Amino acid sequence: MIFSTLERILTHISFSVVSIGITIYLITFLVDEIIGLYASSERGMTATAFCLTGLLITRWVYSRHFPLSDLYESLIFLSWSFSIIHKIFDFKNNQNHLSAITAPSAFFTQGFATSGFLTKMHQSRILVPALQVQWLMMHVSMMVLGYAALLCGSLLSTALLVITFRKVIGLFLKRKNFVNVNGSFCFSEIQYMNEKKNVFLNSFSARNYYRSQVIQQLDRWSYRIISLGFIFLTTGILSGAVWANEAWGSYWNWDPKETWAFITWTIFGIYLHTRTNTKWEGVNSAIVASMGFFIIWICYFGVNLLGIGLHSYGSFN
Amino acid sequence: MGTLKPPTLPTRTHILKAPLLHSTFNPQLHTLFNRCITLSSTISCKLRTSQDVKKKKDNVSKKIVFSDSSPPSLKNDEVSGEVESKSGVIGLVKRLPRRVLAALSNLPLAIGEMAAIAALMALGTAIEQGEAPDFYFQKYPEDNPVFGFFTWRWILTLGFDHMFSSPIFLGLLVMMGLSLMACTYTTQIPLVKVARRWSFLHSAEAIRKQEFSDTLPRASIQDLGVILMGAGYEVFLKGPSLYAFKGLVGRFAPIGVHLAMLLIMAGGTLSATGSFRGSVTVPQGLNFVVGDVLGPNGFLSTSTDAFSTEVHVNKFYMDYYDSGEVKQFHSDLSLFDIGGKEVMRKTISVNDPLRYGGITIYQTDWSFSALQVLKNDEGPFNLAMAPLKVNGDKKLFGTFLPLGDVNSPNVKGISMLARDLQSIVIYDQEGKFTGVRRPNSKLPIDIDGTKIVIVDAIGSTGLDLKTDPGVPIVYAGFGALMLTTCISFLSHTQIWALQDGTSVIIGGKTNRAKAEFPDDMNRLLDRVPELVESSLSKQSDGISG
Repeated sequence: MIFSTLERILTHISFSVVSIGITIYLITFLVDEIIGLYASSERGMTATAFCLTGLLITRWVYSRHFPLSDLYESLIFLSWSFSIIHKIFDFKNNQNHLSAITAPSAFFTQGFATSGFLTKMHQSRILVPALQVQWLMMHVSMMVLGYAALLCGSLLSTALLVITFRKVIGLFLKRKNFVNVNGSFCFSEIQYMNEKKNVFLNSFSARNYYRSQVIQQLDRWSYRIISLGFIFLTTGILSGAVWANEAWGSYWNWDPKETWAFITWTIFGIYLHTRTNTKWEGVNSAIVASMGFFIIWICYFGVNLLGIGLHSYGSFN
Repeated sequence: MGTLKPPTLPTRTHILKAPLLHSTFNPQLHTLFNRCITLSSTISCKLRTSQDVKKKKDNVSKKIVFSDSSPPSLKNDEVSGEVESKSGVIGLVKRLPRRVLAALSNLPLAIGEMAAIAALMALGTAIEQGEAPDFYFQKYPEDNPVFGFFTWRWILTLGFDHMFSSPIFLGLLVMMGLSLMACTYTTQIPLVKVARRWSFLHSAEAIRKQEFSDTLPRASIQDLGVILMGAGYEVFLKGPSLYAFKGLVGRFAPIGVHLAMLLIMAGGTLSATGSFRGSVTVPQGLNFVVGDVLGPNGFLSTSTDAFSTEVHVNKFYMDYYDSGEVKQFHSDLSLFDIGGKEVMRKTISVNDPLRYGGITIYQTDWSFSALQVLKNDEGPFNLAMAPLKVNGDKKLFGTFLPLGDVNSPNVKGISMLARDLQSIVIYDQEGKFTGVRRPNSKLPIDIDGTKIVIVDAIGSTGLDLKTDPGVPIVYAGFGALMLTTCISFLSHTQIWALQDGTSVIIGGKTNRAKAEFPDDMNRLLDRVPELVESSLSKQSDGISG
């Protein structure tokens, strides 16, 4: 009883802290860069990470098994993974774009997990015989960590695509405007216009430079974090295979969840291969990674939604 | 020439490269690069622009810098995908394997194969697998095709009803394997050979061209070397030049990943062609011979002596939670060899199989075999239990004990139902609920004068048996894959530096950790001590003198 109360308290604290943190993020992003506010939102993320850790430990203690046996728990774990990734990269260097991805991701997964949609799953349940083994800890935690890292990386790639395309659109629009404006002014004002144009072009190229810097940063960070996620995913799939050989009698069963995990692995394998060709870095690899984003969600949710196959533990019922 | 250089020295020096002088008077360089017979030396001198003139005197000491002709030409040694076409049939035949290799190691092809495999797998989860043809006739009718064209004809012709063993899918996997081999042979191994060949860079220009470059105005290259060594770099120092690298193993690792994949594929093939499988449901107390259950999977499956082993199910039981749900299944098995000697005894459960002589026995299922009852203290009778409804994991078994005249057309009796081996629900002749009894509770239940005692519930264990010669190979592949994937995360970093008077020019590049690299480098360079004047003059003496 005390445990469930504690759990509820921790859930609410972490959720509200995260939502406050997001609001602060948005304010600093949209209105102005206020350093004090930014620091407080960082503190909020730390608090969230601690709350989620506490939540998971509480659940672990009172259900006496590693809290990764159903969808609700894995969502909490995913949210925890996001906050941990956030903290690690925040610790490593202060200025990066990853925090803009991880914080909202943690918020949304946490929000989804605690929303009314999944309320009846909050009760921790007993484990079916096949799950009562240490492999559960290894396999599922690695998979969810992998999902978290890959989601971050593919979101960074999506951000890269958005920025690139906005650049193209923006360039197009500005040229058009410029021609129009230029045509409408009379001849005597050309001198003045030329001056203006110079100023405009200067500021524009500076912005372009900044943009390309951002794109390069996004590209590199998404590569790095996807590589990390790929390691987790590989470990998760392989440990799952070894476990399956112990429990189900075969290391590979072409179960839907397995197959989709393998598809995810293949897609990110393709991503890593596109990186070996310098011509394809940037936009092309970002497209692959963005596809990977959807495939992870199919793997994580879609298969459970259908509730088919041997991985039916995490389904919606 | 121990004069101090003014700190306002421009970081950019203009270097004239003139490969005019063929010098042979630098023995050190010759031992290092013995493949270059004539070193083309470069005379680097500063272009005298108006603001540079005043510093002219200071730069005399390093006016002539001998350097290797160019930054290491990595590209030369790479086996390029293109093969020059040579006339002549013999040449063509000779070149054919290389041509095939080149085609297979083509990166777009490999990516296409991976994408195709992924797409087929997705399709394989979307289409129901292993159903009878009738199912597909109904689900994908010709008059109402999915997406306007996809009908059962496609599925059955292409073998998509058994996707993961269909010729198309397996063919793609084989292609993938060939591509892996070709790519490892033609691209990866030469790349490593190139990466291992390390060299000093002797021109400031070449160093500045690297992805990261910086100039420390008052520093010594020895200090830099020590700091790099502390950061885990292999450092080579020769005169004014420094070369350092880290994480070379990260260059090897992708080869390992590919080889591990090949190992897994080989193991998987062996599993698919050389294994035996079978499953059996055995009531407690009975036995079976392993060889009778196992059926060969492929043409490489060969039986062993262990197949004559007889398995006796000593006991089958379940553990329950307090809430009554099943916690674990256990089967106590004894193995007897052909002479009737017990060779092994183990209690298996889910996640804890028995292994003997290459045979693995898994606990996978269970069933209710029989109910032992006493009727009016007669018996015990064994009543066979029949599965009534199998709805997901919820099992229901039932049996019927006739009362009165068994030969009459509408015989009546007692029905007994059970979900597990724990409790039996008993209904009377009219179908009314009478009570619940646990086996071996010895508590009788009275139904219209008939006294029933449930003595025991006999379960039967569902076992899966297999032999799989591919498992050791696959596991080796798994281990290798895990290790090499982790190592692949390491980034191969190379750093060059050159002592240029009192300043040190540093350049570096890395192949994976490009995002962190500038920060890491700056952090390292911050730790390089700045030389104070007294030691500075000594330092410059040492360099120029």
